[in-house]
This record gives sequence, C-alpha cells and structure tokens, in this order.
Amino acid sequence: MSDATTSASITPVVVRLKLSLLRNGLRQSGGRRAAYVASAVVALLFAALQLLGLISLRGDAHADSVVVLLVAVLGLGWAVMPLFFPSGDETLDPTRLVMLPLRPQPLVRALLAASLVGIGPLFTLVLLLGSVIAVAHGAAAYVTAVLALPLSLLICVALARAVAAANIRLLTSRKGRDLAVLSGLVIAVGAQLVNFGAQRLGSSGLAQLDPAGEVLRWVPPASAVGAVDSVSRGSYGLACTQLALSVGALAALLTLWSRTLTRLMTAPDGSTLQSAEPAAKDRTAAGGLARLLPSGRTGTVMERSLRYVWRDPKTKAAWVTSLAIGLIVPVFNALQGTGSVYFACFAAGMLGIQMYNQFGQDTSAFWMVAMTISTTRDAYVELRARALALLVITLPYAALVTVLTTAMLGDWPRLPEVLGLSFALLGAMLATGAWTSARFPYSIPQGSHKNVAPGQAGLAWISIFGGMISAALLCAPVITLTIWSNVSANGDQWSWVLLPVGAAYGAAITYAGLRLAAPGTARRLPEILAAVSKG
Amino acid sequence: MTSAAVRVRGLWKRFGQQVAVAGIDLELPSGKFIGLVGPNGAGKTTTLSMVTGLLRPDQGSVEVVGHDVWADPVAVKARIGVLPEGLRLFERLSGRELLGYSGRLRGLPGAEVDKRATQLLDVLDLAGAQHKLVVDYSTGMRKKIGLAAALLHNPEVLFLDEPFEGVDPVSAQTIRGVLERYTASGATVVFSSHVMELVESLCDWVAVMAAGRIRAQGTLAEVRGEAPTLQQAFLELVGAGARDHGSDLDWLGGGTR
Repeated sequence: MSDATTSASITPVVVRLKLSLLRNGLRQSGGRRAAYVASAVVALLFAALQLLGLISLRGDAHADSVVVLLVAVLGLGWAVMPLFFPSGDETLDPTRLVMLPLRPQPLVRALLAASLVGIGPLFTLVLLLGSVIAVAHGAAAYVTAVLALPLSLLICVALARAVAAANIRLLTSRKGRDLAVLSGLVIAVGAQLVNFGAQRLGSSGLAQLDPAGEVLRWVPPASAVGAVDSVSRGSYGLACTQLALSVGALAALLTLWSRTLTRLMTAPDGSTLQSAEPAAKDRTAAGGLARLLPSGRTGTVMERSLRYVWRDPKTKAAWVTSLAIGLIVPVFNALQGTGSVYFACFAAGMLGIQMYNQFGQDTSAFWMVAMTISTTRDAYVELRARALALLVITLPYAALVTVLTTAMLGDWPRLPEVLGLSFALLGAMLATGAWTSARFPYSIPQGSHKNVAPGQAGLAWISIFGGMISAALLCAPVITLTIWSNVSANGDQWSWVLLPVGAAYGAAITYAGLRLAAPGTARRLPEILAAVSKG
Repeated sequence: MTSAAVRVRGLWKRFGQQVAVAGIDLELPSGKFIGLVGPNGAGKTTTLSMVTGLLRPDQGSVEVVGHDVWADPVAVKARIGVLPEGLRLFERLSGRELLGYSGRLRGLPGAEVDKRATQLLDVLDLAGAQHKLVVDYSTGMRKKIGLAAALLHNPEVLFLDEPFEGVDPVSAQTIRGVLERYTASGATVVFSSHVMELVESLCDWVAVMAAGRIRAQGTLAEVRGEAPTLQQAFLELVGAGARDHGSDLDWLGGGTR
C-alpha cells in the first residue's frame, strides 16, 4: 500500500472511529445520553449568546482587546483541558493505535481531523466566528478572517493534541488520575476568579483589558484574530507578522505532536520498565520534617497527616478548597469594599472542617491505627496529634488571613477581637470535629469524585452540619463578649482582651473535645473501621 | 508447646440474614505454623477479623496467648501482628515510611524501627522500592510490605489473611522463607488460604472451615486421615468430594460436535 492511498483512506476511518466511540458512549446509558445532550444544549446556547454579544460589540473601542483576550483564554482552555479530562476522549490516546501500521504524517492529519468533531470544536468555532465579526471591517479584513478562523481553530486543536501526547504517560498513570481529582477544584476556584474579574470589569469598564490585549494579540491563537483587527485598521504589515506567527505556531505544534507521537508509538511502554529510584532528597526533606516534630505517637501521627495533605489527592483537594475559599471570601469582599473584618473568621471555619471525619480520611487503612490503639490514652494522643497537624497549617493561615483582611479594610483596632474570635471558632471546630469523627465516621470512596459512599450521605450531613452549628453555639460566650465590647460604652478599651480570651477558650474547648472524643474512639474501633471501609 | 496461642469459644457473627460464623470453637497451639483452610465464603476472613479485634463478634470469646481480645486489648495488640485481606494500607507513604509509621505507632524507639525496617526491606527484596509510594506497588510487593509491618514489632502470634493470594512464585518463596524462620524461633503463624498444596507443604496444624463452621482441626496427619492428600480430605470434609459429574458435560472433548 502506497503512502498516497494510506493518507487518502485513514482520515475518514479515524473520523468514523471517533463518531462511533461517541455514539457507543452515549448508547451505554440514558443518563449519559441526557448529560451529553444537556451539556451540548448549554454549550451551544452559551456560544450563541457569546456570538450575539460579540456581534453587538462590533464598533466598540475596546472590541479588539476583548476579542483577543477571549481567544487567548480559549486557547488556554484547550491546552489545559486534556490534563484534567484525560478520559473524555479515547482517541486522545494514540498508544491504542500502536499495533496498526501507520505513518506519522497521515496519522497526524487523521487525528487532527477527528479532533474537529465534537461539541468543543463547534463551540470554539462559534466563538471565533463572533470574534472575527466583532473586529473585521472591510473586504480585506473579511478575507483575512476567512484565513484566521480555521487557523486559530486548528491551533487550538493541535495545542490540545500536542499537550495530551506529550503527557500521555502522565495522564494514564496514577499521577494523572490524581490530577483529575483536582480538576473540579480548579474549576471552582477559576469560577471565583472569573466572577471577581467580571465584577471588576462591570464596575470599571472594558478599558482595563487594553494592556493585556496589547500583549496577547501577539500570542497564537489570539494573534490570528489580532491580524484581522490589524487589517481593519489598515496595518497590513502588522497583520502579516501576526498571521505568520500563527502559521508558525501551528507548524511548530504539529511538528512537536508528530515527533511525540512517533516516539510514543515506537518506544517501549514506560509502564513496563522499572522506574528510576527517586532521589534521596525526599528522604532528607522528610527527615527535616520529622526532626521538628515531637517524638512518639504525636510526631508520628502528625508527620503522616501532613504528608497526606500533600500526597493524597482527596485530602489535598479538600485542603486546597478550604484554603482557597477561606482566603477568597474575606479578601475579595474586602477588595470590593463590601467586607467586614469578621469575615476573616471564615478561614478558621473552613479549615476547621478538615478535622471532621478524620478516620474516614484514612479509608480502610484505619485498621493500622486501630491495631495500635488499646487505651483511651492512645486514642486521645492519636486525636490530639491529628488536631496538632491541622493547627500547624491552620493557625498561621487563619492569623495571616485575618491580618490581611484587617489591613485591606484598615480596621486595625478590631484585629485582636477578630483574631480571638477566629481562634475560639477554630477550637470549637476541632472539638466538634474530633467528637463527630469518633461518633459519625463515614467512608470517602477513593478513585472517584464522590466524597461520601452511597448510603452514608445522611451521616456526612449530620456530622458536618450538626458539628458546625454546635461549633457556632460553643463559641457563643466569645461571640457574646465581642458583641458586648462593641455595644457597651467603654467596651472598646477592653476589646484587646478578646485575643487572649478567645485563644484560651479555643484551646480549652479543643482539649475538652479531644477528651470527650477519646473514650468513644477507643471503644468503637471495630465500628469505626466498618464505617470507613465502605467503597 | 501445650499452651494455646489462640482459644476461641462459641464465636458467632451474622451480617443481616447471613450467618458468616456459626458458633466456632478453636484451640490453636502455640509455636506452630497453622493453616485455616476453607472454600471462598467459608468465614475465614470474618473469623480472623474477630480474632484480631478488627470486627466485633455477636457472641463468644477470643483469647490470644491467654489474654481476652476484647477485655484486655493492651496485652493482645502488643503481642499480635496482622496482615488483613481487602483492607488498604496507608498507600501514600513509601514502603520505608509505612514501616517507620507503623513501628513508631507501636511505641518502638525510632532508631530501632529504622534498623528493623532496613533488615526487613532487605530480606523481603523491597530495598530497591523502599522510596516508592505503596500505591505504586504490585500485589506481591503490597503483601510483602504488609508482612513487614506486621512483623516489625516482633509479635508472638502472626495472623495472615490470604498472604499468598495474587503473589508471584518468587515473592511467595521469599514470604515463605521469612515465615519459616519466624516459626522456628517459637512464634505462631495463623494464616488462611484455599490453596491446599501450599497449606500441606507449610503447616503442621490445620483447621478446616466451611459454611461458618469448623469441620476439622488438628495436626496435618490427623486432618488428612486416610486420604492421600489434604486436598482430597478437604473435599470430603466440605462435602464436595462425592459430587458426581458423570453425565454432565458428556459432550465436552473427545472430537468434534
């Protein structure tokens, strides 16, 4: 079979394969079909609205900046998407075609064509169409647009393919699956940032985008759309450079992708080779950590807990969410001038949640802990060490967020009482967290996006919400004192007292909570193990 | 050698309607290599979980080296090592970190833990993978690191649930060597399996379980009785030996159609 016939026949085959995969995926279940249709409708509706918005932007002085920024964000989305949704597209994994006699060039062409099938590319196409309509003025610009449109679409698709191919080993490995668990988080935090950005734009106008637009109009794929704008302004030389940049980027991406593909399909699979022994740096880092921690059970448990914050994707995702939301809520509200220093307590509250369901976070590996707990004292030390590990991160973080929020609002006189309140709340959360960990443990299924095993959702809700309400109630004395210091005539003089009082109250209530939780933990070890071993 | 390592009296466990363990009595001698054998679903894992204190029995008592498992956990937990089946390890720790964690939790001094961990990793052929996370280990490597964690505090009685399940022959031989050396020093190993050849070649004392009950217990010779192999004796004990498949599948083999 000659090269010509191969290239002529393989593209439709791969496109048909993609369509079959799509169809078969939808056939598997009604729920999946419904989800697909719904997401398609939403995506297209969104795209249509964007299209209308972009067309109405035509003629606006800042239209070029908006468009360029939009296309750049689109390009970024294409680059990042395969890292977080590796399982979304089976044709993304070229190693599945490894047994077929294929040449790289026809294969790249075929896979590129197949990539253009789907909602994502359609969505991108609509957006790009709106973008060029928004900035194209005159016949020459329209001619450029006809060139720029497919060029930017191809750059987006090639970018996704190149990134996916370069990282395929990562994506199909355990680390890649760990990364996927974090994807929801990236979207959540990203949405917060977009929301914030949109509010800023709404209040101060599109002119804010111009500096970013100046840079991004040179970065492919935005440079292709930038070229359309340049032609509209009559700067043909500029436009040629921008187009050339785009073509160059596409060529570079295709070459890179083709090379990785060739290497992937001819080199032995890395998963069968013994991976190199990680360097000794890991050991010394851990050794350094261990030296700082107390000896005995306390230090051992703290070390493991802190390692898990970093290494276990579920724990890490939970922590990053808490850290991010604990920071975003008070700080962004302060930035927008709608905040209050008391919002800083949010950080303590969010981080305190990590104390909940401690044993569920261990999964069924809790048996290793259970085998070493024989007395109430053991259980107390275990729980105390977990609370201490949490405090190592939480205490400085809550203090930092509080100081930051206070600084942004310039409300320094309130700093001591807010800090005191934060510490009291943190203590109450640790206390209720320890108690509910022992009383209402539930499983956190691994390897899925679920955080509760089927049938235990009620337990999780009782545990978290009951605990949070109790924590708020437990803080009542400190809250009352804070209110008193604010309303009474000479209360302001005494507001500094709230810092030591809050801290002492938090410490005392944590101690009481741990003491109360320990006997239950020691007594109910088999029951806890059974509860956390589901799923 | 006459004292019992494990003494079980009238042990019951029900899961809803299902009776997993139906009132068993067991007396396992110390210093022996003991096999708990039975078909899948016989109640081996449930029994071992109750004996080691990981599962609360509905009824009955368990004594390990003379101490009641539920009344005196301090004495029992320090004297036993466990390798359960179907429960995770702390897999985001490296092999060495897991041993360090496990040993220190049991209150051993850090330097001693590190020394023993190094030796165990060497003997079990895990030294090359000691800094790899356990989540990246193969089945055989997981069993070996689990065994190392169970041995680290030098227990008197070791309970292993299916220690050879899914383990390659090389790792199996390594595990075997370690266990033989361990029992030779006077310690007791109790392990569950459904591979009779393995039990026959390893154990000097066998308990046969089926449908939640103990069908036979005693030395290998006693349990085997007249039968030529333990496999044969086992099939008769669990009532699977007499099953006649003469007329079933008579079309199978022997040429076309």
